Amino acid sequence: MATSVIGQRAPRTEGAGKVTGQAHYALDVPVAGMVWGKALRSPHPYALIKRVDASKARTMPGVLAVITAKDIRNVLHGRRVYDLPILAENVVRFIGEKIAVVAAEDPAIAEAALDLIEVDYEILDPVLDPLHAMDDDAPVLHPDQRSYTGLPKIPEGQRNAQSYGHWEKGDIEAGFAEADRVFEETYSSAMTHQAHIEPQGGAVWIDDDGIIHVYGHPKNPLGQRKQLAEALDVPEDKVIYEFVRIGGDYGNKGGLMDVPLCYYLSRACGRPVRMTHTFKEEFMAGSPRHPSVIHMRTGVKRDGTITAHQVRSIFDGGAYGAHKPVPNVDVGGARKAGGVYRIPNCKIESYVVYTNHVPGGFMRAPGDSQTIFALESHVDDIARDLGIDPLEFRRKNMIQEGEADATGDVWRDLYWRQCLDAAVAGSNWGKPKPPNVGRGIAITHRHIGEGEAESLIRVDPSGQITVVTGTPDAGMGAHVMEQQIAAAVLTVPLEQVTILPVGSDIMPFDPGLGAGRTTHVSGGAVNAAAEKTRDELRAVVAENRGWPEDDIVLKEGAFHLSGSTEQPVTLGQAAVEAAYGRSGPVEFLARFDGRKVFTELCMAQVAEVEVDPETGQLSILHVSAACDSGTIINPPAAEGQVEGAFVQGVGLAMSEEMILEDGRVTNPSFGDYKIPTAADIPPFTLTWIEDAPGPLPFGGRALAEHGHIPTSPAIANAIRDAVGIRLKSIPFRPEAIYDALQAKNEREPEGR
Amino acid sequence: MIPFDLRFPTTVQEALELLDQYGEEARPMAGGTALVLLMQQRLVTPQVVVSLSRVDGLSSISANGSLRIGALVNHRVVEESPEVKAGWPLLAETYHRVATVRIRNVATVGGGLAHADPNQDPPATLIALNATVTAASSGGKREMPIEDLFKGYYETCLTPDELITELTVPRPVRPLKTAYIKFLPRTADDYATVAVAVALDVADGRCVDARIALNAAGSTPIRARDAENVLRGQPLSDEVFRAAAATVPAIVDPVSDHRGSANYKSRMAEVFVRRALEKATA
Repeated sequence: MATSVIGQRAPRTEGAGKVTGQAHYALDVPVAGMVWGKALRSPHPYALIKRVDASKARTMPGVLAVITAKDIRNVLHGRRVYDLPILAENVVRFIGEKIAVVAAEDPAIAEAALDLIEVDYEILDPVLDPLHAMDDDAPVLHPDQRSYTGLPKIPEGQRNAQSYGHWEKGDIEAGFAEADRVFEETYSSAMTHQAHIEPQGGAVWIDDDGIIHVYGHPKNPLGQRKQLAEALDVPEDKVIYEFVRIGGDYGNKGGLMDVPLCYYLSRACGRPVRMTHTFKEEFMAGSPRHPSVIHMRTGVKRDGTITAHQVRSIFDGGAYGAHKPVPNVDVGGARKAGGVYRIPNCKIESYVVYTNHVPGGFMRAPGDSQTIFALESHVDDIARDLGIDPLEFRRKNMIQEGEADATGDVWRDLYWRQCLDAAVAGSNWGKPKPPNVGRGIAITHRHIGEGEAESLIRVDPSGQITVVTGTPDAGMGAHVMEQQIAAAVLTVPLEQVTILPVGSDIMPFDPGLGAGRTTHVSGGAVNAAAEKTRDELRAVVAENRGWPEDDIVLKEGAFHLSGSTEQPVTLGQAAVEAAYGRSGPVEFLARFDGRKVFTELCMAQVAEVEVDPETGQLSILHVSAACDSGTIINPPAAEGQVEGAFVQGVGLAMSEEMILEDGRVTNPSFGDYKIPTAADIPPFTLTWIEDAPGPLPFGGRALAEHGHIPTSPAIANAIRDAVGIRLKSIPFRPEAIYDALQAKNEREPEGR
Repeated sequence: MIPFDLRFPTTVQEALELLDQYGEEARPMAGGTALVLLMQQRLVTPQVVVSLSRVDGLSSISANGSLRIGALVNHRVVEESPEVKAGWPLLAETYHRVATVRIRNVATVGGGLAHADPNQDPPATLIALNATVTAASSGGKREMPIEDLFKGYYETCLTPDELITELTVPRPVRPLKTAYIKFLPRTADDYATVAVAVALDVADGRCVDARIALNAAGSTPIRARDAENVLRGQPLSDEVFRAAAATVPAIVDPVSDHRGSANYKSRMAEVFVRRALEKATA
């Protein structure tokens, strides 16, 4: 099998359209007569709605429709737990919750009409501290929680819990009894936004057959179709999630957000309707990453052997759990609180808590960045306080092939050690360093996403191959990956493979983006469909010519009879023969089952930083990273994933923070919520461990989800190495560094 | 955004007449980078927006003697002007440090000053360079030192019928020793936590004159006169710089926000005044 296109730096199939502005995103779709919808949002974090009067708005000239909760089938909905009403009816639970929507020809008219809607509130004391939310005297924000569809298992009487996770191994008390020393600390992280450049929005057009065409963010078109059909109480085949480009996702955008409102407005005014968040709305009412407070208590022997590890994680889930896509409505990373280490006795408890903040959603490896920041900071302190080199501590405690981790999972085919060693090798670790410069290590592990998908391949008489795909591409390069896989299996140049993305009405089954599964599962389906195409066409060629099938080789897009001078048969000719001479295409559909694999990926990073002791300013001088990629199909896409994630890691460490005051996000714009610019990115050395075969087509391993996870703890550990202070909260505000240095200087006056 | 009338005068005179006619109801708009944001947030709700985009005669730079910059010159032009770079390098450098190139291509010199956001970059440098602004109204013209322009957060001494028409920066007798430092601990495109401009006139190793100003250290750009007084007449030395910087925390009045507490910013103001003096004389 020729695999030369695997590893090629192939350009994106959609690249030219994106850079020339031709690509269609949700709001670019030219539907005749499209009008704008705008939402009236709560200014209060927690209040009863006593009265809504939209009569003045309804009669305003230019207004086409006004919808309040009473005008629609106002069901509770969500991705797993159904706790979010389409519009607030009797109560608002966060600043930004929608109460009414208006459609008008002109967005300015819609906005002006919102001012005419009168709402009387009875203001209630909000619950803003997730720790306080769990207290017995905190108001219960969802009194009807027990009746919610999709409710995860939550201990009886646990106040305001959206979800609860609990993992236990060994005997935690015996483990602490065995310990020579016990370390205990609390770490926290800020609420952060996915910062996708395209805000959440959508457009709905209802056609003359009553089919509901949705132009949204089709990251999981079949899943979103099901959610919407259920929320609207229409059959699924009446809803089409049309294919449009997605302007960044990072784990967000899987919910319905404003799409049901576009539908109701459209139905009310008889026109297609679009809505989109302004960035202010995106910050106040999007679905950001959960802030965390994570307590860790760890028992160790003097030699660094871990005897017990206890973790209690609290995540601020905000007002609703509806945006979280997993069955337990948790942030998955909470379970990783034991990291890559051998821990015989472990107890992890994780709570996601209702508060009156903006509801949390998923962002790249949800829960991992918070949990691993805490763990890798904690482990580093333990090593340094025991007088053990942090690298040696990690090497000593890292689990080996076939060992169980802290929650009892047994992992195989591990390349963790190679990753750690390669990251260290790419850094200045161990070399002399100037004053106020320090180096820190952090490491994480991450699963490979699983699931099933189908792919449909069409072969034209010309030999052109079309992959009819339902795989969404939020910018990661999924489509060029599929093009390269199909071209490799069918031994044709890339130009001979057309990627045809289609909507939910005709797409082959695809589970959607998430959990780093796309190349594994959707790419696996393309691989399977290409192999099926090859095998079935070969059988036709063999039968028609009496060639032994085993002697037929596909190369350069044609079937050759080995060791003969017989004229080769091109894929196009074979397709015509397979269609009994018909001049149309033939199609091959294959299903692929990308099952759970018992290996875990690794990302190790070593950061070098300099701290300005006079100001607390932190400069990242260099970061070295290594990950076990296995075979890389498209190097620019792979680099983009890991480097892009690393940039997000720099943001988590240095600047990204949604600042909450009295329930309000006080910095709802990119002028005040700072993501790193190109000038802020330090030199980054990335080492691929390619000799690490995995379950992805051609022996790859997933690499999308974990590039950012070790960055903030590696930097925190480097700060301690540089100036001897421990930062326990991300992002690292310069003033916090300054204050910690002042406190240290008071504790340890100069000369000591 | 609230609906408004958009008018396009083509001369300064027409623009001034419109401002005179509508008074408080009108706002002039040059690049619009600040005004549009304020209008979106409904912090400013003019009934009439007087666009200056078609107004002639305020878009040139001249450097015969003093530097004269028309109010509608955009930041990028100042930053790249060979005359500005040659005669007033600190000014070119300061305009180069404003926000991002996308903003600088649109935001104008006059519009930026009229916005009077104390977090902006040019004001401290303009104070250090002893600049003046000219404002015009239907009633006539007046010229004032740049530091007199600013009265508070987003507040100037301009009346609603007045328009900034020109910025004038005197040519120094001999090249000044200058520096502009922004403390940007978060990202390169952030507003400064504190920023300092210094311009020293030095002869024979002695400070003949000093002008020092800070941005992001209070409700207006702040001139550090006490620090200037410490420097004036003194030989340049670390001790003098430290003594000058030590006067700064008493005269700044920063707000606590996510860039830092007022106390922290005051301390940073001292550090960065000293560093700016060191940089200017290095």
